[in-house]
Amino acid sequence: MSALPLTRPMRPLSTKSASLFLPHLTTRHASSTRRHKKLNIIPPAPSYNLSATPNSTTHSRSAKPSPRAPSATHIIFNPPSAAPSPTITPPKFLPASDPRRALYSSFTAASTRSALQSRTPLTAATGTSLASQSLLPARPSANLPPPVRGSDTYEKKYHLTDADIAEIRKLRTEDPYTWTRWRLAEKFGCSQFFVSLVVKAPEKAAEVEASHQAARDRWGNRKRMADEDRKRRMASWGR
Amino acid sequence: THYRLGKNLPFSGILFRNSRSALMDQAIAVIPRTTPLMMAVLAFQFAGCEYQPPAGDQTCFGYLTTPRTQFRPQCPLRPLQHHLSPYQQPHSCRSQSTSAGDTFPPLDADESTELSQRDDDVSIPPEALPSPPPSAALKSAKLAALHARLSLPPRLPIQTLARALVHESADPDPNFNNTSLAILGSNLLGLYTSEYLLCNYPRLPISVLFAAQSAYVGTKALALMAKEWGIESVAEPGGEVDPGLLQYRRLAAGAAWGEFAPRGTGRPNEQKGWRRGITSKIVYDDQFGDMRMTTPEPSQPVPLDIAAESFVRALMGATYLHCGRATTKRFFASHWLSRTLDLSKMFEFRTPTVDLSKLCAREGFEPPVARLISETGRASRHPVFVVGVYSGRDKLGEGAGGSLDEARVRAAVMALKSWYLYKPLDVTLPSDAEGMEPTKWKPNLVDIGEVIV
Repeated sequence: MSALPLTRPMRPLSTKSASLFLPHLTTRHASSTRRHKKLNIIPPAPSYNLSATPNSTTHSRSAKPSPRAPSATHIIFNPPSAAPSPTITPPKFLPASDPRRALYSSFTAASTRSALQSRTPLTAATGTSLASQSLLPARPSANLPPPVRGSDTYEKKYHLTDADIAEIRKLRTEDPYTWTRWRLAEKFGCSQFFVSLVVKAPEKAAEVEASHQAARDRWGNRKRMADEDRKRRMASWGR
Repeated sequence: THYRLGKNLPFSGILFRNSRSALMDQAIAVIPRTTPLMMAVLAFQFAGCEYQPPAGDQTCFGYLTTPRTQFRPQCPLRPLQHHLSPYQQPHSCRSQSTSAGDTFPPLDADESTELSQRDDDVSIPPEALPSPPPSAALKSAKLAALHARLSLPPRLPIQTLARALVHESADPDPNFNNTSLAILGSNLLGLYTSEYLLCNYPRLPISVLFAAQSAYVGTKALALMAKEWGIESVAEPGGEVDPGLLQYRRLAAGAAWGEFAPRGTGRPNEQKGWRRGITSKIVYDDQFGDMRMTTPEPSQPVPLDIAAESFVRALMGATYLHCGRATTKRFFASHWLSRTLDLSKMFEFRTPTVDLSKLCAREGFEPPVARLISETGRASRHPVFVVGVYSGRDKLGEGAGGSLDEARVRAAVMALKSWYLYKPLDVTLPSDAEGMEPTKWKPNLVDIGEVIV
């Protein structure tokens, strides 16, 4: 298209009035390009470290090895990261009679120790699965990652008595519009799901469902299709 | 269009066969890793290639005559089969023998007239027969080529291979079609497949087991296998056509085949509105969890799949009869177990997080907690979260997703799959243990069953 390099910023017209008529475009600056390129430079995998394990015979015979050619004779093992495979059973799921229980635990302990001592990730070692992390493994004494939702110490309370449950039933049956599930859960310190287990209000549920259905019936094509796609995607999570 | 996804469904778990077309199941199962085919047809297979069986052959086929024996070996059930045969008229003038009209005297006197009548098929024109006579099998290049292509052992006679190719829709006479062989082969295939799956994957849920069984030895898989083996079919069956073709009466295009499909639930208490549950499928349905079809009339035209399936099953049965268990197992391993079937793709969980909680409670593990291992681009258009499910300090599964919920659910699915797809290290199949010393038998793991929510 043009001979100008892409890194050159698009120069706006000098006059302020002319720039008003131009579309508001984002421009790429040399500074940002250089910054992003630098971010892409990743240190090579440890097994690609050619100077660390030189092949002495090769070095002695060739006067000056090419800087690009690998001089080592070992296999470069630098697999791309992969999702964990479900065919590898976690140690907790192995039956007590399975010999892999002891093998896994001793291997994990030894590999973690050596990785932490040599400060090289597990992927550098041969024989590790492709799903092993390219970062350093966590120390055995380190805290677990934070929970996604809720707290770590969620305990069920089982604090409601038969009288409380009868009270919930009475309130919800008498006036389901005032005593919604949310309000009952707040009053008795339980979950909304528990309230729905204790007592059901089928008339109100049908009414709410009808109003939701009426709202859905007013949807246009785009919204309906987006909704169906979302549900299809959600169903695929379980596969 | 209103769905109720996940919650409040009367069941949960795996709905693979209901949710995807059966064609896809088979497509997963038929990627072959076969041994190189033997394409050469050698000259000795044509010239004087009559099968010479050993003296004490126990198979009751009439054509297995040996020059060494004085009398032709006769099946003791033959008079009985004669009475049972619904196809009386051609039966009395056809013979299973390849050397028809030979000089061997009959076994007993009262059968002599009948046998002499049967052996008198020289005068019958082949066009009058419903299927090719067994003597034509020796002259068929297609049969010899098929025998060589499948590397079948020489103990399996060409005539039996020809008989395995005759479906009952072409020839209703049970002495000449492959029905009896196909029943034996179907039972063998079912046994070998189910014991392989159950011993190697003892925790597999029953619905996945049904789907895997169908993917290995179901109708579509067997029909595809026959196609890969190069089985061609006749346009119209008859005595004069090449016996190397699959003989069956083909269903006209657009004709109804669904009248033999099962109706209702197939359960005894249908009027009470009982549904077909997973458990009752084990009792009432066939080996794939499908309802049994009503048997059509023998001469009813059938689709190609049905006829091709009966051939593959009959070949399995014939291999077992002629060559024994060891050869049959080798044949099964090289043609069925060599196929890739990704069992981890056959699951579909509706409520994976609930299932995993129930599983951990059942097994006495700490309740599972989803933990955020790493994330990137939370505020961007395409974030990625990596979530692990932990029970205590042990990680059960890991999943990645575009939202925290997706990653959490996928991690639970991965944990459940790794539970169900557990594979023991050393497995002894029960059929391999036949004839083994009892002290060498090591019992296999039997799991208590899938998680019921």
